[in-house]
Amino acid sequence: MNLKKYKILSTSKETADDVFLRIETDINPQPGQFVQVSIPGIGEAPISTASCDENFLDLNIRVVGNVTKAIGNLKKNDYIHLRGPYGRGYPLVDFKGKNIVLIGGGCGVAPLRGVIKYLEKHRKDYDEITMFFGFRTPQDVLFKDEVAVWMKKYNFNMSVDKSPEDNPFFCPVGFVTQILDQTKIETKNTEVLLCGPPIMMDKCVEILKKKKFKDSQLWVSLERHMKCGVGKCGHCMAHGFYVCKDGPVFRYDEVKDITDE
Amino acid sequence: MGKILDKKDLKCFFEKLQKIGEVVAPVKNENISFKPVKKFSEVCFEGRSMFPIKKYFLPTKEAIAEIKNDAFVEKNDFKKRIIFGARLCDLNGLLVLDKLFLDPLYPDKIYAIRRENTILIGFACKEPLSDFCFCESMDLKDYYDLLITENNEKYYVSIGSKKGANLVTEYKDYDINLKKPVCKKKLKNKNIHDFFDEKFWEKDALKCVSCQRCTLLCPTCLCFDVADEMNIDLKLGTRNRSLDSCHSKDFTLVAGGHVFRDTKLKRYRHRVFHKIQYFKDKFEIPMCVGCGRCMEFCHSKIDFVDTINNLKK
Ligand code: SF4
Ligand code: SF4
Ligand code: FES
Repeated sequence: MNLKKYKILSTSKETADDVFLRIETDINPQPGQFVQVSIPGIGEAPISTASCDENFLDLNIRVVGNVTKAIGNLKKNDYIHLRGPYGRGYPLVDFKGKNIVLIGGGCGVAPLRGVIKYLEKHRKDYDEITMFFGFRTPQDVLFKDEVAVWMKKYNFNMSVDKSPEDNPFFCPVGFVTQILDQTKIETKNTEVLLCGPPIMMDKCVEILKKKKFKDSQLWVSLERHMKCGVGKCGHCMAHGFYVCKDGPVFRYDEVKDITDE
Repeated sequence: MGKILDKKDLKCFFEKLQKIGEVVAPVKNENISFKPVKKFSEVCFEGRSMFPIKKYFLPTKEAIAEIKNDAFVEKNDFKKRIIFGARLCDLNGLLVLDKLFLDPLYPDKIYAIRRENTILIGFACKEPLSDFCFCESMDLKDYYDLLITENNEKYYVSIGSKKGANLVTEYKDYDINLKKPVCKKKLKNKNIHDFFDEKFWEKDALKCVSCQRCTLLCPTCLCFDVADEMNIDLKLGTRNRSLDSCHSKDFTLVAGGHVFRDTKLKRYRHRVFHKIQYFKDKFEIPMCVGCGRCMEFCHSKIDFVDTINNLKK
């Protein structure tokens, strides 16, 4: 099973539905990879990683099921069981010298945070960095302190679907697809990394294609039911791909024909 | 080539195996099934078992770890076993399972240890064991330690590995070609990429009652679920792995509630595509070994081979 026990260095509540864990570990994933997190007696869940190249690992956990709920109850200095990292992440090394566009929706922004950490470490290897992030409300914005920094440092665009309370980021209200549609983006020498709910990714791909991006410039992260994480249990299979092992990150032209599965 | 034994030799050989480890062989009761066997006379030399030999490597349900004081202790199984009398389809089924469970990147420890500690001795089929057999179409490999072919009270033992060769050094060599079975049933098309459209699978899917016998009895269906089970005090428990089925509705359910293969048609089609196409695209051998069980024991007698043979654009 290869599970190992690691200490939790800190926890915080990111939003009403998300908890953030910093874990002391030697697991060093590539951005876009995931780890399997186990809670003895409750079960296991795949969690995408949100940091890169540190002597700790950051995980943002959207509390949606029993395992994630139990993870959410953990405190600083508790132990957590991990195995991984698994899967194919974003091939950032291959993107050296290029412009990078990041498009994320909701908790899909977490893996892209790992990408940003990587790009910051290797800033001179990359050209323009542009971001389009969408959240449900300003209260649902992940990594709020960092967002304030990203706003200043990069071509940063963010929208919220609605803003019932205050809007400290003064960001436009609407879907992320709208700000993407309205913004001019250089297509030459650019790679686009997308992560978010399937409908959002589909809509964004449509817009990007209108902007004359080629399928082979787009990188999507697929979501599937994952049990083993290592290409055996069959749950994550999508038209012959093991999303856990062949993905979760795919070049769009590899997977664009996968419809219902 | 191999070694030749007479009936008396075979019995002695069987008794010699008993000293190496637990011998499991097909036994005939209501159905034929693999069981630990002590006496040579109990071994059934006809027919194919209803349940394939995968249960000795991937049990229907087993604890893969104990949960104790909030920690996991991995379980293992070092039992020495001899599988005596598996058919070539089932042995090729292990070849399929090996591709996944012995993947050098992520080998499955329990499985690998079991494989390592098992000797595989097959019985060749002289003719198809059921009307549903179509192994001849599936290019089966010589995947065994030893394979025994009976011919006029003589037993021709082909050698498939060093492990096997070492068991039969004392017997005389033979040098003839043995006949392979000829199946009436054939799979005529093993490239079905062009037939993904729903219309090709509607008729079959309509008959399916999701009983999951096809996947349970298939020698190469390995999809599994993992779940923790705790004692009432929530202190001790086990992490269990159990066979799952792509025919189950929740198989592709993700947190949040979405089910990717949300109709019987999508699930049935996925199984057929996995067996005939997807696995082959990745590993160069089909996942189906032509044993016919999924059709013979299907609640609704759905015959995917027939369906594929009749696919027309
Ligand atoms: S798919 Fe059917 S015929 Fe093929 S190996 Fe499995 S049970 Fe046998
Ligand atoms: S055995 Fe037949 S009826 Fe049962 S799930 Fe399989 S295809 Fe459907
Ligand atoms: S999660 Fe088990 S095969 Fe991908």
